[in-house]
Amino acid sequence: MALIRLSDLHLNLRSGAGEVNILRGIDLDVTAGETVSIVGPSGAGKSTLMMVIGGLEQASSGGVSVADHNLSAMSEDALAVFRRDTVGIVFQAFRLVPTMTALENVAIPLELAGSRDAFALAEESLGRVGLAHRTTHYPDQLSGGEQQRVAIARAFVTRPKLLLADEPTGNLDGATGDTIMELLFELSETHGTTLVLITHDMALAEHSSRVISMADGRIVNDVRRAAVGAPVTSDDGMTDERQRA
Amino acid sequence: MRNLGISLTIARRELRGAVSSFRVFLACLALGVAAMAGVGSVSSAMMAGVERDAREILGGDIEIRYTHREAAPEQVDWFRQSGIVAETVEMRAMARKADADRRTLVELKAVSDAYPLFGSLELQKGGAIQTELAQRDGIYGAVVDAALATRLELVPGDMLKIGEAVFEVRDVIAKEPDRSVSFASFGPRVMIPAASLPETGLVQRGSLIRFHYLIGLKQGLAGADWIEQTNKKFPDAGWRLRGVDRAAPGFDRFINRVTQFLTLVGLTALLVGGVGIANAVRAFLDRRMATIATLKCLGATTGTVFTAYFIQILAVATVGIGAGLAIGALAPLIAGKLISGMLPFEVPGGLYWKPLLTAGAFGYLTTIAFSLWPLGRAGAVRAAQLFRALIVPPSGRPAGKYIIASAISAVVLAGLAVVATDDPKLAGGFIAGAVGVLLLFGGGAQLIVRGARMVPAPKRPDLRLAIANLHRPGAPTASVILSLGLGLTVLVAIALIEANLSRQLKEQIPEIAPSYFFIDIQPHQVEGFIETVESVPGITKMERTPLVRGRIVQIAGVPVAERTVDPDVQWTINGDRGLTYAATPPAGTDLVEGEWWPADYSGPPLLSFDAEIARGYGIGVGDTITLNVLGREITATVHNLRNIEWQSLGMNFVFVFAPGTLEAAPHSIISTVYADTPEAEEAVQRAVTDRFANVSAIRVKDALENAGRIMDAVGIAIRITASVTLLAGVLVLAGAVISGHQRRIYDAVVLKVLGATRRKVLTAYVMEYGLLGLVTSLVAALIGTIIGYVVITQLMRGDFSFDTPAVVLTAAFSTLITITLGLIGTWSALSQKAAPLLRNE
Repeated sequence: MALIRLSDLHLNLRSGAGEVNILRGIDLDVTAGETVSIVGPSGAGKSTLMMVIGGLEQASSGGVSVADHNLSAMSEDALAVFRRDTVGIVFQAFRLVPTMTALENVAIPLELAGSRDAFALAEESLGRVGLAHRTTHYPDQLSGGEQQRVAIARAFVTRPKLLLADEPTGNLDGATGDTIMELLFELSETHGTTLVLITHDMALAEHSSRVISMADGRIVNDVRRAAVGAPVTSDDGMTDERQRA
Repeated sequence: MRNLGISLTIARRELRGAVSSFRVFLACLALGVAAMAGVGSVSSAMMAGVERDAREILGGDIEIRYTHREAAPEQVDWFRQSGIVAETVEMRAMARKADADRRTLVELKAVSDAYPLFGSLELQKGGAIQTELAQRDGIYGAVVDAALATRLELVPGDMLKIGEAVFEVRDVIAKEPDRSVSFASFGPRVMIPAASLPETGLVQRGSLIRFHYLIGLKQGLAGADWIEQTNKKFPDAGWRLRGVDRAAPGFDRFINRVTQFLTLVGLTALLVGGVGIANAVRAFLDRRMATIATLKCLGATTGTVFTAYFIQILAVATVGIGAGLAIGALAPLIAGKLISGMLPFEVPGGLYWKPLLTAGAFGYLTTIAFSLWPLGRAGAVRAAQLFRALIVPPSGRPAGKYIIASAISAVVLAGLAVVATDDPKLAGGFIAGAVGVLLLFGGGAQLIVRGARMVPAPKRPDLRLAIANLHRPGAPTASVILSLGLGLTVLVAIALIEANLSRQLKEQIPEIAPSYFFIDIQPHQVEGFIETVESVPGITKMERTPLVRGRIVQIAGVPVAERTVDPDVQWTINGDRGLTYAATPPAGTDLVEGEWWPADYSGPPLLSFDAEIARGYGIGVGDTITLNVLGREITATVHNLRNIEWQSLGMNFVFVFAPGTLEAAPHSIISTVYADTPEAEEAVQRAVTDRFANVSAIRVKDALENAGRIMDAVGIAIRITASVTLLAGVLVLAGAVISGHQRRIYDAVVLKVLGATRRKVLTAYVMEYGLLGLVTSLVAALIGTIIGYVVITQLMRGDFSFDTPAVVLTAAFSTLITITLGLIGTWSALSQKAAPLLRNE
């Protein structure tokens, strides 16, 4: 059962220099529970693809279906509700609200959804990322790693079907980055959440069940692995040595 | 409802520590609201003071005034039946110290035994008025104003000659309860007993004397009913009858006019501040773009985000408005202390809810009108930008609903301005003017920004940077030009209007103004008067005309109370008017309609009338005007219309009768005398008043100084409120500097990294702010000059001349203040070390 289904997806943007084709005919199915890494050089269209999947960017043409929602046909407010109920997002720059405490930052998606026990669930979620003792701290009182853990707690607190993570370790040192990734994969597995991850780090990508390579707005390679750590296999069943390189 | 709940939650959290970023917003709002609340509260307090002390100010429950004559015996009987009656007689007279030559014009008041009916007349030594006025050793007492005691060097016990009689000065008046409420008078007060009046010889037929009957009504009699009954009983009395509801009508009108004007100036300050509010809201929201995008990403709808930030803006506005209202509420206390000496009653303190509520409503409406636009635009931020390092605030127009909501709040604001000033014409003119000037400045600012973009890049890098800073995206150029420019325009316009008025006064007075008006000359004294004046060397010209006072009772057959007249000519029907007659047109007559009558005219009463006042009445040649003269009604037909040059200060009469109507009425003669030296002025005054004790001399310079004092007081009020407008403009400029601070630090660091010295960077900033100040001054000078020109030529019908120093000084001041504020704001940017900032990049 495909959680994400993209068919012949195009996205063109107008700029001063004329029309730029950002995404050029993407076809992609992601099954519920998969962990997918998207890799590729800067400007390949990775982030844009993630924005389209998260309902943050409208496709110029083609089909976008996520969790049985046809995103192309939804209004901006309907998309906001869709994200609230279905999608969790983790950013490279954390994107916490500076005027809210860690607990309030985690609780806000639940509050937006009208949850009555928002704070209890938020506290539990913070506990799962090891920050039960930091609930009353504001973002500027937390380290970078701690801020990203708060962001992860916030992303998982609504039990989303889909988690989008854009270079979540990009602003962190190596050791902290590893801890964060372990946490991400572990929580995705525990909650049965589909994880779509953008990364430049091939070692990190290898933790995923599927690695998609993009270049120039197209998917140039799509490799599935039998199990985490097993050799990467492309769609045609061949082992892809280039990805290992 | 749930959306409102979550919006409130977000607003509450977002407000933590945010108030400090709203300093300029708070200051702009507090300033404008304080100005409006203060003006309104002071005016309400004064009105409340008049209402509270109405009986003391009026002198009774009822005041009846006759001009030239006393009440008829049956009328006096009726007054006495109705209650207790005090009589006062008021006139102008010359007073001189008995053993000295010094003399001066005084306002004489003779009072009967029952005076004062209400309140108390306080004397400096604390005695009772009637005791001090009583005859001692055959000499009546007089009490005088402190100003007269100083001018004539009088001390108690000195003798004072008034008319033919001599009085002993017994004390100095500390407070006169029913002294008319005005900011100017022709002379200091002298109070004498009514019984002594015949001895003065001042009561002559036709002299300008007012007889007042003050009545304390018997218990159970209601003022309004009594007035109605009395008017029915004596329909042709020709008196002026007032109850406590009109204790000080002239003062009420004056206060209303000044309040209207100052309310509009306060509103200007609020509008200028509104630009600052819009800037502050935009700057705040720009800093919150990442948060807004994050909230949208987490599932907040645009509506939730808009409501959350709208609540925050309203919450902060409440703080600013509250501060403004607090200041405004205290204003009556402060103003009461400052002006207590000018008024015969105390200005009561306390809270005046209506002006406070109005000012609060103006504050909220201004906030809403100026913040909906940036709020609506901020709601459009794209959550997708969270994937980028730089979140760019949305530009352009917000969604249509926000534009409509902004327009509605602007219309409501305009409606409130109309209600608050209670004068749709004035408020409408103001609104049209404000919109016009806003559009002019908005358009001008856009032109300048575009012009800066089109200027070929100069070779000097600092100048290039300065010009680029004027037109780069997000530059505050337009809002600074708009807000600072508005304040400056008001200043330039006022400076030009004042310069033109004082120039006109200076140019006209020495050439054409008479030195003295002599009043109350009896017809049999005319020959002697002419002889006396002509015997004084240095007298260049003398004019005489008969004068009798009368009140308009009907216009074109309709009673004045039922006829609507233009507010500009309302003054002509409020009190007595001077009437004269002439066989031939007086010198300088400018007939605009109809013919002058034949010199030997005899027939039904004809009238030559002022053309502008006729327009205000809605009448023309052939219509009738009925006047009550000494209790008799005279209906005259308007035979011709004249233009009157009031500035000439010569003898101008609205009403000139044809021969055959007024000659028989008891009247006096007034005369203007022109002298070419101060010595001649002094000599003619002495000669006339020595020979004719009943003739009073009004020095034109004194009258002008009186008018000048009123103008000065009003001018100070105007300048204070105009300064409030400018201060609002400066606040907006300060806000723009503060909001650009982070960008300046960044620019300075990058420029320093690239090898620019601090001096180079500083020069670029001086140039940028200098250019900004200069263009703002130029636009303000241009628009202010246009406004000044329109006011002088169209409203005041004078000649306009451009006053270079006034405009150049204002412009230079503006440029200087812009550079200074700009540099204060950027100084810390210059001293910023590069490393910490670069490490964070």
